[in-house]
This record gives sequence, structure tokens and C-alpha cells, in this order.
Amino acid sequence: MKKVITGDHAVAIGAKLSRVDVVPAFPITPQTLIIEHIADFVNDGEMDAKFLTMESEHSVMSAAAAAEAAGARVFTATSSQGLAFMHEMVYATAPLRLPVVMANANRTLGGPPGIWCEYNDSMGVRDSGWLQVYVEDNQEALDMVIQAYRIAEDNRVLLPVMPCLDGFVLTHTVEPVEIPEQDDVDSFLPPYEPDVMLDPARPAMIGAFMPAEYIMELRRQSAGAMESAKEVINEINDNFAKRFGRDYGGLIDTYRMDDAEAALVTMGTVTSTSRQVVDELRQDGKKVGLIKLRFFRPFPSEELKNALKDISAIGVVDRSLSFIGGGQAFNETRSALYGLNIPIINHLAGLGGRDVTETQIRKMFELTLRAAKGEKVKPVNWHNTRGETV
Amino acid sequence: MFELRFHGRGGQGAVMAAQTIAEAAVIEGNYAVAFPFFGAERRGAPVLAFARIDSKKIFSKTQVYTPDCEVVLDDSLLDTIDVVSGLKPDGIVVINSKDKPEDIDLGKEIRTGAVDATSVALEILKAPITNTAILGALVKATGIVKIESIEEAIKRRFGEKLGAKVGERNALAARTAYDRTVVGKSKGIKKLETKKQWLPSYQEIPLGGVLVESRTEAGLIGPGSFIENKVFGWATFRPVRDKEKCTMCLLCWFYCPEGTIVRISDRGDLMTNYDYCKGCGICANECPVDAITMVRGKT
Repeated sequence: MKKVITGDHAVAIGAKLSRVDVVPAFPITPQTLIIEHIADFVNDGEMDAKFLTMESEHSVMSAAAAAEAAGARVFTATSSQGLAFMHEMVYATAPLRLPVVMANANRTLGGPPGIWCEYNDSMGVRDSGWLQVYVEDNQEALDMVIQAYRIAEDNRVLLPVMPCLDGFVLTHTVEPVEIPEQDDVDSFLPPYEPDVMLDPARPAMIGAFMPAEYIMELRRQSAGAMESAKEVINEINDNFAKRFGRDYGGLIDTYRMDDAEAALVTMGTVTSTSRQVVDELRQDGKKVGLIKLRFFRPFPSEELKNALKDISAIGVVDRSLSFIGGGQAFNETRSALYGLNIPIINHLAGLGGRDVTETQIRKMFELTLRAAKGEKVKPVNWHNTRGETV
Repeated sequence: MFELRFHGRGGQGAVMAAQTIAEAAVIEGNYAVAFPFFGAERRGAPVLAFARIDSKKIFSKTQVYTPDCEVVLDDSLLDTIDVVSGLKPDGIVVINSKDKPEDIDLGKEIRTGAVDATSVALEILKAPITNTAILGALVKATGIVKIESIEEAIKRRFGEKLGAKVGERNALAARTAYDRTVVGKSKGIKKLETKKQWLPSYQEIPLGGVLVESRTEAGLIGPGSFIENKVFGWATFRPVRDKEKCTMCLLCWFYCPEGTIVRISDRGDLMTNYDYCKGCGICANECPVDAITMVRGKT
């Protein structure tokens, strides 16, 4: 069944179809619609879940971790300042291997306060041990909530997953979304059955104080699980594609990369607009392609290397800034490609929710193509920024 | 470089002792560092502290593994910790004990300075805080600094924190212990055993460190494993309850941090499980009718 719905609505339906047991919630723009829709589902008897209205985001993640430890499948959603407020508990959840799924509606993390899309909220927890996937349309938002549970609860992973969708650009935009049948989702996603949980009949210690004698090994264990997540993500992507007919590519997606000389690496909705620009430029005979960086954690270093090894220049688009110079995606991609000796430049755009237009993306390709021809191009380019020239 | 390792229990002031010997060395124109290592901050739990003294700047920021001097603030630690492991061959042990060095069995014949620091502390400070007394013994046994420097360092550090009078009294505790310290050689009869530790590899450790009750070669782990951690050896005093005075208000039961006071419901009575009583005295302090007295001696 096709419905014309917002990204937030799609995420809420994804949670409903995943048959979650507990939803601790606190509202924040632009995530609010997600939990409002879930509240409606629960109230109308469409969804058999415990809906908990909490007093803060910190409490939301505390409740999420606790419910997950008690064996429940848990969903919540947040954004920006809310994610920052729950920061401590975000870090507490992953090393305890509690496979919570939380959607993040990407929004600028102030100051100054703003409500529009920027990635500096979720980038701040990129090293918390959560998996992060950035989606480009409402269909992918819905589908990735369902996939997120399969990935998170896989015995090789058992880590929390954060599907990220662009604030307003997706959360408040309606577009047609194919709603999967409940029976199909049920056969794709079995109930959550943890080996160990909080159970008075078989007591367990979860999150006890640990001295240095153990924490190093636990960190190593988490690193291994994050590494294993790579094959699990690709495997589940393929399973999902077979059952539902939608293939997202797994860790990364590629678009018109055959014989491409210059490629952009993009995340989220910028990818969607860039597909259109690639088509136009290809019509003009420009050899350009696109890599969609879907998962930021685990970071698909090998996949990027394979996809980009024959390219002449790479431009990485970032919607948030790291003070090492340029954005996080740029710096991590450059690190992943170490040794390939391919020119790589950074395009910063859309910070604070500024619209990322086709004109800007054309400029990004133009600069990247110039780098491909061996011209000297600035390593970090601020697009559509007064006082800067690109 | 002269390296020291202090073994104490939370509340005895091992950390302050290490800092004070460092300060005394600095007073004499040397360079010194001191630092603690402890787990959950729990009164009575074993604590380590370290100090290094040299004539030039010390760059090492690691723990001390091969000390020149091992200071033991509580001889009950000898039951669980092998204090001589790692000690340099010509090293020295300074120990709080009622016994003379030749009667103390360290599992190895080692140069040892002994003093009954607990008695010194109780006489002068009216509390079993043995850190300043043991410093007097440390100076007598090693001569690493002069007794006057330790007195000055104690007055500075304790005076600053707790007032000049407390500083003076603690300096006196050090001087008294200095005078009473006997230096000799320990016995080497008992077999040295290091307590086994559960040290799983990253592949073996349960996911996320989540533990269910299980037995390892080092003992129980997980929920309920505390039953093996008897703490009666930690105590200097034990609580004795006067049943005539007790009103069964249960404040002691409520406040006991170790949960060692057990309600015997059918008799409307209380019982202290001394296996797990660390002798902290909170029950006696909280009792509104003074029915609990702290009596010297292990629980």
C-alpha cells in the first residue's frame, strides 16, 4: 500500500511494523511527529507497546537501556539538543551491548539555537559505539528502522543503531512511501530473544562497576562487533532487497560510477539532489559519479577504497564541521583512502539548515573535475558562504 | 630514584601518607611524586598509593612495580596481598604490627621495620588512622628523609586541611612511632601465594561485561558473588549491641553500608553477621539510645 506521508510518519510506521515493546519518549522539533504518531498508534490500539512519557532525554535513554536490558524491543527518537542531553546514556548503552534503535532527526546543535538540518548533533556521538545510517528519502527512513532491528539484534553485532534522517528536508516533507505488509515484516524480523536479560529467576549484573582489568577487553570486543556489523549490514540489505524489492546497497551505494573521473561522496538528502545533478552532467558528457555514504559507523573504509580506487578526484560533501579542517566525512574518507594518492577535496554546505541547491552541487562537481585534471583546488571549500569564494 | 608502594585500606590515609613523604622529600630539596590507585571508593577496601623520590625531575607516570620500600598500614592485608612481590632485593618493608620483625612472617627474610601504629594513632589521634604514625616508622627504617622534614611536611599538609592543632598532633604521632619502631628481619616461613584473578580474554569475557552467577578459577563472579568477599579482617573495632538498651528502632539496620545487620523477624531481634562487618562504626554513631559500643578487636 502506498501512502503520501512525512519522513517522521514513515519512521513511526517502521517502529510499529517492527513490533516494538517499549517507547520512552520526549518531544523535540523536528522529531516530534515521530513520537506523536506512535502515541496515536498506541492510543488507537494499532500498536501493542508501552509508551512512556519521560521528563527529559537523559531519562529517555536511561529507560530505553533499562527496558532493553529487561528483554524488550525498544524504540525512541530524538534530535539535536535532545541527543546532546542524553549523551551520557547514549555512551552507556552501546558497550553494554543493548540493541536499542533510536531515530535521530538531524538538526543543528546550538548555539546559536536553530531547528534546521545540520549533522553536528549525530556526529558528536559517532564514537559512542552506536551504528549510524543516514537516509535520503522517506521510504529508506521506514525501511531502515526495520533493518536496524535485524542488524542491532544480530548475535554478531548486538549494538544500538541510529537511523538518521535530515530534519525538515525529510521529517516534514511528504512523499509517496510503500508501506510493507505486517506479515512480510514479521517473517523478515523475528521477535527479540536475548540470551541474558534482567530476570529475577536468573539474576544478571548489567552495567556493574568495572576496573581497568576488564574495560580494555570490553572495548576490544565492541570494536570487533562493529567490524562484524559490516558483513551483517550487507547481508541484511540483500535479504531485505529479495523480500521487499528495494536494494539500498548496504554500507554504501554507488550511482553512475562506471568510467567516472570525478565523484562526490555524499550523505543524506544531498545524495538525492546530487543524483539529479549527475544525470544532467552526464548528459553534458561530464564523467561524474556518486558515492552515497550510508553507514558512518561502522565506517566503510574498504568499500570506499574499492569504489574509488580508479577515480581521478574525489569531493566529499559535509553538512557539519570538524575543527581539524573540513568536515567529519571528508577527514574519515581521506583517512580510509590513505595510500591511494588520489586528490580529495572537501565541500562544506548546508550548515545550520541552509538549503543545498543544485547550483551548489554543480559547483562541487566542477571543482572536483578541475582537481581530476590536475588543477590546484583548495582542500576545503565553503559553499554559498558570504565572504568565501569557491 | 627511591620508589615506595603503600598498602592500606580506604580511610587509613595511605594516599595522604604517600603525598606527605613526597612533600618531605621536596622540603629537603629533592623532586618527588605521589599518586593513588583505588577502585570503588569504599571505606575499608584495599587501597594502593605510590611515591617516587629522586634528586632530579621524575618523568615516569606509571605505577610502581619494583619498590625499594613497601609500606603496610594494616597487617591484615598480609593475608590477601603478597606485599613482597616485586620488592627490590635490598628493599625494606615497613609494617603496622604489634609484633617484632622477627615474628612477622612475610614468606621471605626481609629487612623490616615494625611499629604498632594503630595503638600510637589511638593514643594520640583517638582514631585508628595510621598514616602519620607509619610515616615515623618509615623514616626510622629507611632514613630516606629526616624526621624533622616529615614533621614539617605533616604540619603543612594536615595543618592546611584540618587546622594547625591537628597538624601538630599528627606530627607527634609520627615522632612517637619513630621512637618505638623496631628494625630487624622478618620470618620467611609461609608459602607466598598470589590471589588468583579472573582475567578473561576479549573473546572470553561475556558480551558487554554482563554477568550471570558463575564460578571461575578465581572464585564466584556475577550476582551473589559478594558472599565470598568476607571483610571481617578489615576491622579495628567491632560493634557490640546492648539488648537491654536497644529499642528495635532499626536505624542501625537501615544505615549499615554493608547490610550485615540481619533482622530475625520471628524473635523481633537483630543479629550482626560479623563475616561482612568492616567495623566502620556507623551503626554505633546512628544509634539514638547509645545501645551499640565499638570494642577494639577484629570482628
